[in-house]
Amino acid sequence: MTKTIASTLTALALVAGAPAFAAPESYVLDSRHSFPVFQVNHLGLSLQWGRFKKATGRITIDREARTGTIELSIDAATIDMGLDKWDEVMRGEDYFNVAQFPTLAFRSGRVLFDGDKVSGAEGELTMLGVTRPVTVALSGFNCITHPINKKNVCGGMATATIRRSEYGMTKGIPGTADEVRLNMAVEAFKE
Amino acid sequence: MKTLFAALALTVPFAAAAADSYTVDPTHTYPSFEINHLGFSITRGSFDKSEGKITLDTAAKSGSIMITVDTASINTGLGKRDEHLRGEDFFNVTKFPTMTFKSSKLRFSGDKVVGADGELTLVGVTKPVSLTVDWFNCGTHPINKKAVCGANATTTIKRSDFGITYAVPAVGDEVKIAIQVEAFKD
Repeated sequence: MTKTIASTLTALALVAGAPAFAAPESYVLDSRHSFPVFQVNHLGLSLQWGRFKKATGRITIDREARTGTIELSIDAATIDMGLDKWDEVMRGEDYFNVAQFPTLAFRSGRVLFDGDKVSGAEGELTMLGVTRPVTVALSGFNCITHPINKKNVCGGMATATIRRSEYGMTKGIPGTADEVRLNMAVEAFKE
Repeated sequence: MKTLFAALALTVPFAAAAADSYTVDPTHTYPSFEINHLGFSITRGSFDKSEGKITLDTAAKSGSIMITVDTASINTGLGKRDEHLRGEDFFNVTKFPTMTFKSSKLRFSGDKVVGADGELTLVGVTKPVSLTVDWFNCGTHPINKKAVCGANATTTIKRSDFGITYAVPAVGDEVKIAIQVEAFKD
């Protein structure tokens, strides 16, 4: 009897231990090293870059189950084209309309894996109040111990392409292209 | 005397075919850089202020570039980091307020510019740098109707070649440079 209880306890301990071990790991975005940027063709002359200075987010990954989630929130008013006057135009109603839509959001409940590496995510981008499916590719996924603060940190480079007209942002098309390349450095610390 | 006139007459067509001069549009020209951070993410920065002159003689397939970048206008999206980058560990902007790229050797494919061999001066160190132009196009600006050319130019340098060695290798030594440039014909 005692032995059986002991076995049961061992089994419980194993059961309790295994899911705990394989449970999703939660990561918080390092906003100092995670900047959403975009690239748009201007008049067929050049590719102009823009950036948002503030993004926050949380990522969970379960390496055993190869599942995960992403919650990303971008402060629309922090748009940075390198020129204040241009930023003002981009904050206005013709573009990001930040007074009415202060945040852009990307949410995913389907993180994609290639082996044990995160390789992308299928999710939804919400911009100007319009939510559309977006598939993001992630290259260079890696996790290390941060050399300075010794925390576990994961990162990579995320890319996607959207058409801004699908979100109702049509100003300047086609002189300023409809197609927008999105590109984001991602670094996130394990909680 | 007759010979002199003939020589002058010959000189005139050359003058007509002389290089066109362009002034860089600072509102659409941003030298930018990408640098590997911790081996897996790329930190991107740019300089908000630059100016310059470009001459192009597509018939002679020659030209020149002179770009001056205001180093204090560095922008990585994070004020504290920009402060550090302006300091002595990196761009040392008090001592070296500008960096320059000069070239008098443009490379052409047909009438398109595809590259430029020149010299980059950064923190007082001058090194040869070869730019690849992966996009070049000229047209008439739809709003102001001026003749305008645009390009994207890229190259890769090692910052240690210029003496900027802070935090190598956690922050990469290799720096990828990308320059989006638009320039109006004078």
